[in-house]
This record gives sequence, structure tokens and C-alpha cells, in this order.
Amino acid sequence: MRRPACPGHPAGRAVCFLAALVLFGVLGVGLADGERAQRGDLIVSLDGEITPLRLPRDHRAPVAVHVDAGLKTSDGSLLPRVTRIELGLPAQGVISTRGLPVCALRRLRDAKPAEALAACGSSLIGRGDLESFVAVPHQDPFPVRARLLAFNGRVDGHRAVLVHSYSSDPPTVAVVPFLIRPGAGRFGTALVASLSSALGPWPHLVRFRVTLFRRFAHRGESRSYLSASCPVPPSLTAGFFSLARVTFSLAGGRTIGVAIARGCRAS
Amino acid sequence: MPRLILISFLAFALAMLAAASAPAAVAPTRDEYVERLETICKPDAQATQRAMRGARADVRAERLAVAASKFAKASGIFGGTVERISAVPRPSGDSTRLGKWFTYLKRQESYLRRITAQLRAGSGIQAQRLTARFIHNGNLANNVVLAFGFDYCSFKFSRYG
Repeated sequence: MRRPACPGHPAGRAVCFLAALVLFGVLGVGLADGERAQRGDLIVSLDGEITPLRLPRDHRAPVAVHVDAGLKTSDGSLLPRVTRIELGLPAQGVISTRGLPVCALRRLRDAKPAEALAACGSSLIGRGDLESFVAVPHQDPFPVRARLLAFNGRVDGHRAVLVHSYSSDPPTVAVVPFLIRPGAGRFGTALVASLSSALGPWPHLVRFRVTLFRRFAHRGESRSYLSASCPVPPSLTAGFFSLARVTFSLAGGRTIGVAIARGCRAS
Repeated sequence: MPRLILISFLAFALAMLAAASAPAAVAPTRDEYVERLETICKPDAQATQRAMRGARADVRAERLAVAASKFAKASGIFGGTVERISAVPRPSGDSTRLGKWFTYLKRQESYLRRITAQLRAGSGIQAQRLTARFIHNGNLANNVVLAFGFDYCSFKFSRYG
């Protein structure tokens, strides 16, 4: 019998909650703005971490990946609308979904977080939060903060991460599918989302933070949604790799992106 | 004779006038400065990328001498770039910030040289420590000139193998 070890199952919840607390505690400390780049008046930032830092040299081990990406203008003016996000993840890492339950997108539509978890908890692969400004015509833009839940899903037969976003003020639910695609260069995997079709014309994304982490069991074998190694020779104790790259496409055709490099320690 | 004196005086006055007005005429705007520097940095950044191709794989496979020669090449290119861009007149309002940036760039150059030396000596651990500092210093350098919007003149880890 399949028995996922983490979020969707009551038996695993307490342990996973503690694990998440530790994870967020560790990740929350000392996170700076990360790397930044500027084009014109627009500044993009990306920070991120892989945990644990210490990984095997010769085989992959379960990891959590945390990314924190944002946009701002140098003069404080309203941000342009983001129409597409591409998040590149390193080729050294692997996304494994075999044996992980798949959540149907329709089950998340109009669902509050508790309902989304009740419907698709066994597919949960991450959590996070989001900040944006909503600019409705003839009104001042107002900020919206939303909680994010990430689920394993499929869209048109392709593997995807379904990001469920819930804001209590104003009450809003949105589901954004990030398709998992082959990436370019050092980023072997790309998560790609089209925001214009998913969210409409009003939200202007400011920042999102997400941690992807999920352990589950498949045919009696313990598996992880994300796994990675630290492939350095025995003479070295650490290595460096390109952890993530975020590229925002903006209304009007501009794109802006930045990549980050991080280290790992070999165990 | 008086005519010669007059001509000499006029030539001297013109030379002084030109010297006095030269800095104001030469000091570029920030956009012009960025454009000029990017022209210098672009071929060098591309050459660095070519020179460093496979360096990380070399380190991973413990071919430290091969990696060292790639770092040496990159170090030479970087040093040449810094020398040329530091000769470009700077926008008057940005001199302090650019001074700080060039300090970071000099430090980057020094890290590259030291990484090369450690790899040549077969000391991977020391090279690894210096690489961490090199990456950190590169990010600090980028932050100083964020508003300039450099592309090829900014530090990008992906260019190094």
C-alpha cells in the first residue's frame, strides 16, 4: 500500500510540521536580498538555498529547495505586469514524481487552503507566500499577500507544479500551473508559468517565496520529490553550482532575470 | 618678434583653455559610460566563457593543472579588461561608487590569480575557499553598480566554466 510519509497523511503530519518548522527556521535566518540585476528602472532579485547543505558525492539524496524572487522599481513606481515566470533549476538536481499522487487542477479551483489540502494533500510538494499589487482601473493599487501551496499535477499530459494561491483580504483564490520543461544550459529543468492567462490583467507581482520539499513512499521505497548530490572529488570538501535562475517576462515585451550560485558540502 | 610673442601667447591661451575645459567635455553621462564599458567587456566576457569552458568538470575530475591553465587565461583576460575600463573617464557624479566597484574588481582579479596558483600547487581545498570568496566578492561588486544595469561588465558565475 502506498503510504506517503508527509503532508497529506495525518500520521505524517506532526513529523512533517516539525520538519517544516526546522526547515523554515533554518532557511529564514540570514537570508539576504540575494543576487540582483537591474534593467532600466526595474530591479530583479533572487535568493535561494538548498538544504541540507551536506550531500553525498556519489549518489543523490533528498533535498528541499527554497527560492525567494522579487521585483521592484528603483523609483518606487508601480511595477509592470508579469506575464510569464520561468524558474530554472540545476541539472544536478532531479525531480521525481513516480508514485506521487497527481492533483487535478479543477480540484483546486475556488478551494480555500484547507479545502485544497483536503482534496490534494497527498500531492503537496511545497509551500510559500506571495506579495503583489492589484491595480484595478480608477482605484489606487493595493497590496495583496497570499499563501501558496504547491501540488504535483499534470497539464495537457505534462508534469506540472500547480501553485494554489489564497489571499484572505480580499478573498481570492488563483491556481497557476508551472509546467516542468527541459531547461537550457546549466539549468536542466525549468518551471514555466504563464500568468496573464491564469490571473488576468490586474495583479502586479512583487515577490514570491517558495520551498519545494516532499518525501513519499512508492512500492515500499522512500522517495523524494527533489534530490541532488554534491559531486566533488575526494580531495575537495565543497562545490559550487548554479542553483536557480528566474526570468520574468513583462507586459510590453521586456524580460529581466538573474541567476544565483550556491555551494554544497560533500559528506 | 612682437608677432611671434603674440602667436605664442594665443597658442598658450588656447592650450590652457582647452585643458581647463577638457574634463567637462570628456566626462560622460552614465548611459554613455555604460555603453562604452559594455563594448569593452563584451568580447572579454565571451573570451572568458570560452577559456573557462569545462573548468568545473576539470576540477570535479581532479584535473587541477588543466583547470589552473583555464583560470590563468581567465585571470589574464579579466586583468586586461579591468585595466582598459579603468582608463575610461567616469561620470562625475558616480566617481565614489565606481571607485568602490574598481576596488572589488581588483579583488576579483587577485582572487582569480590566487585560485590559479592554488590549483597549480594542487591545493584544491584552498582553491575551493578562494572560489567561495570570489563568488561573494563578485556579488558585492554587482550590487555597487546595480543602477548602471551592466550586462557583460557584471559578474556572472555561469561564465566561469
